[in-house]
Order: sequence, then structure tokens, then C-alpha cells
Amino acid sequence: MLDIKNLSKSFGALQATENVSLTVNEGTIHALIGPNGAGKTTLISQISGYLTPDSGSITFDGQDLLALPAHKRPHAGLVRSFQITSVIPEFTVRDNVGLVLQSLDNQVFQVFAKAGSDQAERAKADAILERTGLADEADSRAENLAHGQKRQLEIAMALAADPKLLLLDEPMAGMGVEESRNLTTLLTSLRGTTTMLLVEHDMDVVFSLADRISVLVYGKIIATDTPQAIRANRDVQEAYLGTHELHQEDSA
Amino acid sequence: MLSEKHLPAFYALGALLLVVLPWILTAANSSYLISTATRLVIFAIGAVSLDLLIGYTGLVSFGHAAFFGVGAYVVGILAFHNFEDTTVLGFDGTLTGLIVLPLAIVISALFALIIGALALRTKGVYFIMITLSFGQMLFFLFVSLEAYGGDDGMMMFEGRNVLPVIDLNDRITFYYFCLAIFAAFFAFCHRLVRSKFGRVLAAIRQNEDRMTSIGIRPYSAKLLIYVIAGAGAGLAGALMANHTEFVSPGLTHWTKSGDLMIVVILGGIGTLIGPVMGAFVFLLLEEFLPIIFHELGMDLLKEHWRVVFGPILILIVLFAKTGLYGLIFRKNG
Repeated sequence: MLDIKNLSKSFGALQATENVSLTVNEGTIHALIGPNGAGKTTLISQISGYLTPDSGSITFDGQDLLALPAHKRPHAGLVRSFQITSVIPEFTVRDNVGLVLQSLDNQVFQVFAKAGSDQAERAKADAILERTGLADEADSRAENLAHGQKRQLEIAMALAADPKLLLLDEPMAGMGVEESRNLTTLLTSLRGTTTMLLVEHDMDVVFSLADRISVLVYGKIIATDTPQAIRANRDVQEAYLGTHELHQEDSA
Repeated sequence: MLSEKHLPAFYALGALLLVVLPWILTAANSSYLISTATRLVIFAIGAVSLDLLIGYTGLVSFGHAAFFGVGAYVVGILAFHNFEDTTVLGFDGTLTGLIVLPLAIVISALFALIIGALALRTKGVYFIMITLSFGQMLFFLFVSLEAYGGDDGMMMFEGRNVLPVIDLNDRITFYYFCLAIFAAFFAFCHRLVRSKFGRVLAAIRQNEDRMTSIGIRPYSAKLLIYVIAGAGAGLAGALMANHTEFVSPGLTHWTKSGDLMIVVILGGIGTLIGPVMGAFVFLLLEEFLPIIFHELGMDLLKEHWRVVFGPILILIVLFAKTGLYGLIFRKNG
């Protein structure tokens, strides 16, 4: 489904992505782990088009992704969520989701259709809010949500785009135990229908969800394997346990 | 303070006032003020169109008078060639309103498309500067048009545009004509900002970076609203040229863009009725401050009434967060 080959990106002297090759198979949940500053978000941003790689290629669903402008990628089925919550603050929760539905239905330029009175859109949005546990907050302004709920909305917006491949950048960050568990259940329910590339620090979540795991350290993929094999991998243990002196500030 | 629930009643009252205004002014023996009232509705069209950019999309455009000027010059140039019996770009001049007014809208929209396509590649303070620069470029372009009076501009010797049935040269008829166009434009904008497209604009204003990830290209949406706003300003300019029967580069000067911006901020950005109230207060102060100082015998202030005008504007903006609108209405939840 997603095929990354020899991708590189540097910011000045900093090599944020170094010769990364990665394949995400259709229907799987692929986790991307690594210490802070390993370049996980940078990689997600290159796949979603927020950053342009210096070299390498990305193929998605058989097409050359780098030739596709960033705003067209969601229409092709590639959708990302953000590590730092990014919702439309003054919109209601329902309108946040409604806006995504509108975009994916190619209704951005509808100058006369009233935004508030599309019943089909409303029903769709409410169904998504139901799934993501936000039904009770549908009419709240997004900026008034608790942090965990904003995280849920972030996921709801991503799901509203009906993605084939979902890039999740630390979806659990800042969530409470309960919310985190609910989201894990939700993501589990999407297994098989939605392919996911998941960046996450919570190892319980990663090991309970992922079919395969890639480990990114200093811009390089040091291992890609099944969860069991990753757990046993010596290099990964080193990177995470901090025995390698360069990595001491990470992994906490 | 009123709640926003009272807005429809406020609209109705305002509409009624504007409709009966000529009678009131005639009865009060001040029919010369009908001209000021006409300027009010024309100015309001320009201000509302600018607020689509500033208030609704978060685009601080500092060159909006450029499109006002383009609309006015379309009217002026066609009138000039009609009078001289010459052609412009192979077309005869004309006073036919049904041709001139739509053409003014289309041509100012075209200018907005070109200027917007370039200016919208920048953001923030650079966008302010580049729109200001384009405005000044047009100003100097019109100054350089010697054939059309250069610096001095030109008169429309044969009077206003001609329409079937309605006689625009009658000043009360002309007032109602402008009022009707204002009402139509206001209704259009009211619909627009509540439309699905309007929702996209609001989202761009609040979190532009998020748009790409949900499949929206902010540039295209911003360009469309820039063209719509430019067309609106062009329409206002075309009416203003008819009103004064005179066009000059001064219409596009950056201070005119500033005036429009002041009106929008004074009235309350992100509202439609705000800029209308802003235009009302702006013209009221402009009209009566010199008179008041004259009556008071303060000749220095009569001459330099803007010295007082400025602080009044600053006070209103300082104490009312959303301008006059915020003074009158409390925002709903």
C-alpha cells in the first residue's frame, strides 16, 4: 500500500531522514517507534506532503506520491493526524468533522449551499462522533474541549476523510488511561479495513496494536519486524535502554 | 446591549431608515445630504466587500481601493470615449448601464484575480505590504494615463450611465438605485459567509495549516474570495464614478484603502452590519465635525478636523473589541 524507498531529508547539517526504506502492507497496522528526535514526525510530514524529501521515492496505492500535491493526498485516501492537536477552535465539534466531509465530497467552493442545513452531512458527522466517543460534545466549541477530547476530535477528523491509509502521529499523547484504552479499541476495530502507520510512545499500545514495527533512530531505520522479534532485538534494546551513550537523553 | 437574536429586527430597522431617509432629509430641508447618503451606501458596499477578506478570511488587504478605482475607471473611460466618439481597444465608448456596470464588475474581478494570484503567495505582514504596493502601482498607472486626465482625472460630461426606465441623473432615483444594489450585495454576502464555502474561509482564518491535511488548498479558496471582494469593490467604484460623475487616480490612493480599512475595523470585523455602521459613523463624522467646529468658532480645528477624528476612531476601537458592532451586540455563546 505504501512503499518508501531511500528517502532522505536534511535540515542544514541535521540528517532528519537518512535513506529510509519502509513498506506498509495493506490492511496492517504498522508502528513506527524511536526515541524523541528520531525523525518520526518528519517522516510522517514527508508522506503527508507537509515536507518535501531531498531524495528518494514514495509510492502509495500504485501512484507516485511525491508528484501529488499535499492537499490532494487526502482525496487519494492518505490522511494524517497531528501530534500537536490542530482543530478549528471556534467551530463546533460537529462542524470540525463536517468540514472534512465537505472537503472530501468536493464541496469546498459551494458558495450558496448553507453550511448548517446539510442533513446528510450532519448524520455522517454524528455517526463518526458516536464512534469516537464525542457524541455528547457535538455542539461544543472545539476550543472548550478537554485535552483528551481534542485528541479524540483529531482522530474523528482523520476518520471523517475515510482514509485508506491513516498516518497517526502519537494519537494517544496526553490522553488519560480511559481515553487511551477507548482509542485503542477503536483502532483495533479498524484493523483490516484501514491501513495504519502509527507513531506512538506508549509501548503497551504499540505492542497490542501493531502487526509490524519499524524502529527509527537518528533518521535511520534500524529494524523492521514483528513485535516479538523487535522486543528481542539487541540494537533496539540498546537504543531504548540508553546503554548507547549518545541516546542517554532519549527514551524516557 | 442587544443580543444577536435582535439582529433581524436591527436589520429591518436599518433598512427602513435607509428607505425613508430621502423623505426625512427633504422634510428637514437638508436634501443636500441625499448625496452623503448615497456615498454612505456606496461606501458600505466597498467596506462589506473588504470585510469578507479581513474579518471572514483573515486576509488583511491594504490595497482594496485599487479595485474601487478600476471599477470607477471602467465607467469613466467608457464615458470618455462615448463623449469623444472614439474607441478603446476596438470598442466604442458607451453610457449604457447594462453594459458598463457588469463590465466594471468583471474587469475589477479580473484585476483581483491577477493581483490576488501573486499577492496570496505571501502571508501576514508581507501580504499587507504587497497589496499596498499593487494598490499604489495602479494609482501611478492611472496618474500616467494622460489621455484620461492623468493626475487630474476626468469628468463625465454627459452625465451618469443610462438605464432603461430608471433615470440615474435624478438624485433620489440614483440613491434608491445604489441602495437596491447595496441590499442585493449585502444579501449575497450574508448568504456567502453562511455557506459551505464561508465555513471553509472561517476555517482558513482560524487554522490555515490544518487545511492541507483535510484536502483543502487554502490558496484556491483565498483567491476566490479575493476575486469576489475585488468585484464588490469594483461595483462600488462604478457607482461612485456615476455618483460624482468624475474619476481620478485619488480613488485608488492608499489612503482610500486605509479609509476602507478604518471603516471595517471601526464597525466591527467579521460582521456584515458592522462595516455598514462603520461607514455611517465615518461619513457622519467627516460631514459634521468641520461644521461643528465652525459653529463653535474653532477655525483651526475646522480646518484640521481629522486631528479630532483620529482619536475618536482610536477610542472606539480601543474600548469596543469588535468595534461599533461589539458596542451594540453581545456575541452569542
